[in-house]
Amino acid sequence: MNETGGKKSIGGDFVIPVAALVFTLYYFSTIIESPWTAQVAAFFIGAILIALTLLFLVKSAIAIGRGQADLGMNAVIAPTGLLATRLGLLAITAAYLVLIEWGGFTLTTFGFLLAAMLLLNRGQRAGFITLFALAVSLGGYLIFILAFETRFPRGPFEELIQAAMQAGI
Amino acid sequence: MELQLDLYGPLFLHTLSYWWVIVPSIFLGLLVGAIPGFSAANTIIILLPLTLVMDVEVGLIFMVALYCSSRMGAGIPAILVNIPGTAGAAATPLDGYPMTKAGRGQQALAMSFVASSLGGLLTTVLALMTMPWLAQVGYYMHSVEMIVVMLFGISLIASIAARDTLKGLIAGFFGLMIGSIGADHVYATPRGTMGFLELYDGVPLIPALVGLFAVSEAFLIIEAQSILSRHSRDLLKTAGWSATLEGARIALARWWHITWNSIIGLVIGVIPGAGASIASFVAYQQSRTYSKTPEAYGTGHPEGLIAPESANNGVTAGTLIPLLILGIPGGATAAIMLVVMQYHGVIMGPHLFSDRPDLGYGVFMAMAVTYLIMSFTILPLSRYMSKVTLVSTAYMAPIIIAFTLVGSFVPREYMFDMALGLVFGVIGYIARKTGYHVAAILIGVILGPLLEQYFLRALKMSEGDISVLFSSSLGNVLWVALFVTVLTPFALDYKRRRRAAHG
Repeated sequence: MNETGGKKSIGGDFVIPVAALVFTLYYFSTIIESPWTAQVAAFFIGAILIALTLLFLVKSAIAIGRGQADLGMNAVIAPTGLLATRLGLLAITAAYLVLIEWGGFTLTTFGFLLAAMLLLNRGQRAGFITLFALAVSLGGYLIFILAFETRFPRGPFEELIQAAMQAGI
Repeated sequence: MELQLDLYGPLFLHTLSYWWVIVPSIFLGLLVGAIPGFSAANTIIILLPLTLVMDVEVGLIFMVALYCSSRMGAGIPAILVNIPGTAGAAATPLDGYPMTKAGRGQQALAMSFVASSLGGLLTTVLALMTMPWLAQVGYYMHSVEMIVVMLFGISLIASIAARDTLKGLIAGFFGLMIGSIGADHVYATPRGTMGFLELYDGVPLIPALVGLFAVSEAFLIIEAQSILSRHSRDLLKTAGWSATLEGARIALARWWHITWNSIIGLVIGVIPGAGASIASFVAYQQSRTYSKTPEAYGTGHPEGLIAPESANNGVTAGTLIPLLILGIPGGATAAIMLVVMQYHGVIMGPHLFSDRPDLGYGVFMAMAVTYLIMSFTILPLSRYMSKVTLVSTAYMAPIIIAFTLVGSFVPREYMFDMALGLVFGVIGYIARKTGYHVAAILIGVILGPLLEQYFLRALKMSEGDISVLFSSSLGNVLWVALFVTVLTPFALDYKRRRRAAHG
């Protein structure tokens, strides 16, 4: 919750209750014809959640009506100077999740770390960041995949090293 | 089964001679405990071929040391960067992270290490002394009693909601609603799954934990160059060994608090199906309820850190009791230990203590020795570990995102779980920015499905008769204890206000 011009900006405060309300109504639609065992706990919890959400909405509407608050979204987007960076990081993270299935852990993590660190450092110290991202992703590969054989997503790099090791190179 | 006190001394010394297995296992356990998605159970599974070729005694000591240290390891990122390594450490950042932000990370780590070691050691000794009786606890804990235990944990939502009741309750019930996703426990009817097959088994915990805590934290910390203020950075940079010693002193001065909460952990650990997350939530809630300064909880209060850490380490000894005495594993790690023991031809049950006392009692002795060694080896590391918080957020945030999201892939190997981690991250970010507590959401996600499961089981067995909830003597005692616990803060608050009004 932020304050602008003496008024509290409470638009952001609605996101969670509205999401909860929408999800609860959707959930109810999936169990409406189910046996009572599937309904009992959800209807009980959902009814309380709807009541709490409505209470919150009424309370907020009164505050807005009295001129004590407005529907500004400052709480979520502040600091506004960082909005582009934050959205950029979100986009890079989403791309990481899409690409890791094909690229595997090591290559994709290297790319993600490089892009994200360059973004957060505003393009400065590119050489150091490249080496650091390489060291972290290779370190992750050595510890988790090679040493502990953890079930990380595998891709061309992991396959290549495995093939080389099997060939005794 | 009789206690063989004369055996303990030589067995302790014998176990101590395996320090060369225990020390590396401790460091491995700390590492896997600290990364979300890597539990002791996962690591033991990964290293199963190695465990099976080891001598049974060495293998057992290795698994026990890994198990104990991973519990402690889970608290380290929870304190330093607000990211619990496992769900069992989800209550740790409530007070641990505010201490770090105030430049007292080293002190907080020392407190956590002392509370964990002492709590674990104490409950191990207690378990050794009371095994035959504690093993019976599982027999008395039926669905009705478990419902009340779950409600103890869920009532923590009300405590968290104390600062903004409406938002706290909305967050908690939203979590309970999310926890209800998945097939119902009787007819397997899919509910709220949005068509994703991956959600039929319910919402996986690791992506929820990773998203709500780690990913949201990573997006928050980039707002500044460091997670510490300038003053806190200076404080941490200049902190010498005195901060570690002060942390240890603060924890030791609260020895009664450690004892009480580790016993809560021990008893909850004995109950099959219950676990460290329930124990730590219940312990935090109990600690806050009976504290003279409940308003200090959530702001970096030592007791708010000590309670969950001693409780989740108390669980460790508890989960092994039903395994050793009844052959019923109390958790995932205990189940894997059962597999390894059976592979070596060791039969679990009361006979284990007469046929192979070196293994039966040896498990607890390995635990005691691990906690002893841990207290000496880990405590000095708090000074160096706390320096992690000095790393710039421009480097820390991407590493947190990459490794925790991949960690959420590990348990089920679904790409979907990584995406789910990001979705929870967005929910967690918005929740934090707008004053909804992510811990309240997580409590709902963890305890909601368990509560529903026991509730439905009780109703099915009573053929829909709701009065079954008040049909057992132990259950009724627990109900009374629950009401006392929920009402006590209000009574104490009323008393405090009256005293203040009268000067």
